[in-house]
Amino acid sequence: MFLRQREPLSFERSVPGKRGMDLPKLDVPAAQDTRPAHLKRSGFDALPELSEVEVIRHFTRLSKWNYGVDDGIYPLGSCTMKHNPRLNEKVAGLPGFTDSHPMAPDALVQGNLELLYTLQEWLKEITGLPGVTLQPSAGAAGELTGVMLIRAYHVAQGAKRRVILIPDSGHGTNPATAAMAGYDVVELPSRPDGTISFEDVTDPVNGKVRKGLKTLVGELGPEIAGAMITNPNTVGVFEYRFKEISDLLHSVGALVYMDGANMNALVGVARPGDFGVDVMHLNLHKTFSTPHGGGGPGAGPVCVGEKLLPFLPVPVVVRDTVKVGEGEVPKHSYRWDWNRPQSIGKVHTFFGNFGILVRALTYCLSHGSDGLREATLRAIVNANYIRARLKDAYALHIDSPSLHEVVFSDTLQAKHDVHTLDIAKRLIDHGYHPPTIYFPLIVPGALMIEPTESEGKDELDAFCDTLLAIAKEAETDAEALHQAPTLAPMRRMDETTAARKPVLRWTKA
Amino acid sequence: MRYLPSSPAEDRALLDTIGAARAEDLLSGIPEGLRLNRALDLPSQGSEQEVAWQMLDLANKNTRFCAQFLGAGAYDHFVPSAIDAMVSRQEWFTAYTPYQPEISQGTLQHIFEYQTLICDLTGLDVTNASLYDGGTACVETALMAVRVQKKRHTVLVSRGIHPLYRDVLQTAFAPHQDLHLVEVGLKDGVTDLADLQAKLNDDVAAVMVGYPNFLGAVEDLTALAGPVHAAGALLVSVTQEALAFGWLEAPGKVGADMACGEAMSFGNRPTFGGPYLGFLAVKDAHKREIPGRVVGQTKDLDGKTGYVLTLTAREQHIRRDKATSNICSNQGLVTLRANLFLQLAGPEGLKGLAAQNVAKAQHLRQRLLDLPDMEPVFDAPFFNEFVLRYKGDLAALQEACLAESLLPGLDLGRFYPEYQGCILWCATELHTRRMIESLVEILARVPATV
Repeated sequence: MFLRQREPLSFERSVPGKRGMDLPKLDVPAAQDTRPAHLKRSGFDALPELSEVEVIRHFTRLSKWNYGVDDGIYPLGSCTMKHNPRLNEKVAGLPGFTDSHPMAPDALVQGNLELLYTLQEWLKEITGLPGVTLQPSAGAAGELTGVMLIRAYHVAQGAKRRVILIPDSGHGTNPATAAMAGYDVVELPSRPDGTISFEDVTDPVNGKVRKGLKTLVGELGPEIAGAMITNPNTVGVFEYRFKEISDLLHSVGALVYMDGANMNALVGVARPGDFGVDVMHLNLHKTFSTPHGGGGPGAGPVCVGEKLLPFLPVPVVVRDTVKVGEGEVPKHSYRWDWNRPQSIGKVHTFFGNFGILVRALTYCLSHGSDGLREATLRAIVNANYIRARLKDAYALHIDSPSLHEVVFSDTLQAKHDVHTLDIAKRLIDHGYHPPTIYFPLIVPGALMIEPTESEGKDELDAFCDTLLAIAKEAETDAEALHQAPTLAPMRRMDETTAARKPVLRWTKA
Repeated sequence: MRYLPSSPAEDRALLDTIGAARAEDLLSGIPEGLRLNRALDLPSQGSEQEVAWQMLDLANKNTRFCAQFLGAGAYDHFVPSAIDAMVSRQEWFTAYTPYQPEISQGTLQHIFEYQTLICDLTGLDVTNASLYDGGTACVETALMAVRVQKKRHTVLVSRGIHPLYRDVLQTAFAPHQDLHLVEVGLKDGVTDLADLQAKLNDDVAAVMVGYPNFLGAVEDLTALAGPVHAAGALLVSVTQEALAFGWLEAPGKVGADMACGEAMSFGNRPTFGGPYLGFLAVKDAHKREIPGRVVGQTKDLDGKTGYVLTLTAREQHIRRDKATSNICSNQGLVTLRANLFLQLAGPEGLKGLAAQNVAKAQHLRQRLLDLPDMEPVFDAPFFNEFVLRYKGDLAALQEACLAESLLPGLDLGRFYPEYQGCILWCATELHTRRMIESLVEILARVPATV
């Protein structure tokens, strides 16, 4: 683990003449220098000179300062940090996949095309929606694709609509995406139970009235392009009036986008296509266990209903059935369909993060219909177990039934001047990664815990015991919490100076 | 299910504590009518061995080649063994975004080093923790350019930029009726200076040109920078083959104000197009407009140097609809591959590797030109790709190559009608003299049908 207190930047250890990579002997004549003189590479200021040994040791030491899923529970709410099966990694590294070129003719990449087609079939059945694109590289990229599909649909109808409705509990990517797709964002207020309010909501503090869904749909009707709704929402609660919301929006010609970040609560249990969703994205790096990689790469496929099929990004993978003799098993061939005149175009240079899609299909095949449902139920049981064990020590700001995650507030601890940040940092001292904190914004001092199905009772108990001990400590020794963490490789960091006087790269002294 | 750790007795204990008879009782928040009352119509779970074989079967359905002479944005380079070994450490590949800096210093210091190297390669001041790929990097760059250049709404895009990057740009600009993408034509394989000058005006925020461009040709950024800057526009270089930075001067040192593109060549295999590595580097003056994650250096309470995600006031989780972009991730593990690759290579390795690519491509071109049916199209200097016109039957050429397990270059007519009958060839350090000779021998035997 954290044996060294400091690992210098590799640039500080560079020594002229060292090499970590050697080249094959050149078996053709040396290059003629055809560059204009001013375009000749002059040199490098930072690129270090190190041997392979030193590079490997450097990155091994750095790695030990990271917390990974194999270190223990990783309870980040809305992030679904589940176990990353090693089979998936091994399969994604098969040379048959990694050597394949994205510009190769379709006939030469039949395995890849069949893989993508098969994954789409799984995602269609899981979401209950008839169309899929696998191109978007991440959840946010999926959102943008989805909103552009909504826009293309309205343009095709000859309608100019300028507004996207987004609940105040929504993830920041929702409003940022709507803006990036050229829309104005209008916020939907939440009810005390965390779900979208149909009625107007009066702020108890300043008396300001925020318009509810019914008022907004009445006033803005034909201006509304759609709504982006996370379900279960960011409080871990199912929008139980979802069908009514969809019907209301559809009645004014608007479409419903579902942010599928929390789909780990629904797989095998409920299907968005069955409650009026027109378009949604899935985060394969959450629900389908592809590794987070320290921040990426992920994949954010978009699933759509009938209305949006013509607008899907090009190309779309198509299966043709090859004619065979009477009574024989039909044979299939696969190809890219580029000829889709109403398509919004391309949203990724090639076909998306293919290596991630390989892992996601492997996850699907391993789990199967039965395993997927079982995983969902266990994720829900685990979250509810944490809720049951901690609900007396930490305030449940919203008391609706939890699905796969539970959101606490720091109001009980705040009385002792202990806040969410302190609780999170103290967890680090106990060897745990903290939960998602201060999100959703509608819960004061939110601690959003999502254990996923990957934790057994022992790990859950140890985690809950720790949080209970921290709650006790808050009453008796607040200062210890303010100082936390003290056992990690770093103490609290000065983020203000980092932003005011940014140092964003190393420069030679 | 091998990935689920609970035993039946433990399950019972969990449910008892919750006070539920069955797990299904916890679904009460989902209205009965919205639940799925059947099993998903999908196969049941598979053992590790069964799934491994199923996936291997799919991988084996792809045709394998002895050599691919195809680049076009996805390059075949050797990957040092240290890279796969290092990225398979769980501390790297299973970790989340480094939002808790005290237990994420590994990822944060790595990204700081990666940012330093991207700045070094591009000769610019500031970069981010990466973008999805070359095409989406172009989108973020173009949107940033119109943001920085407040009253300008047009982006000029050279026809020499990867055609699929241009497609992705078109898609992203379609919703913005106040913004315009205008194409600048090519002459002799590079951006047509006369056409550029004719299209420059005070609404042009930026001009994007390939470096090297899609046809492999080296654009003279210095020559383009003059008129672009005189018109008050920013010059953006778009590089799809980042290995060229080992041979060509850093774009920031020869007139580019922003540099973006694709860096998959640093430690990745073609992998059917992804995951790859988009990058964007800019000048210091524009740092608060850059999209995406950025890592900065700071100190902890004890004064110890460390790293954090910074300038977050630009980002979606703070600014919501006023953010510089909706992006909320980076290509984490791919940046690690690139950082490892570059540190292993060092300055001499990178220059040497780049020089080998030039030598191989020059040799391939020379040998192909020895064939009677091949002729040059233009003479611009090139890195590891070049264009030749084939006077024979392209379909027959393709067929002959595939029969011998060689993947030929790209049929350019697919993207450039004006280059009908032309092929974009690529050679890297992986192409031995023998492979090149095999290709030439095969091509010499292609029957002339035209």
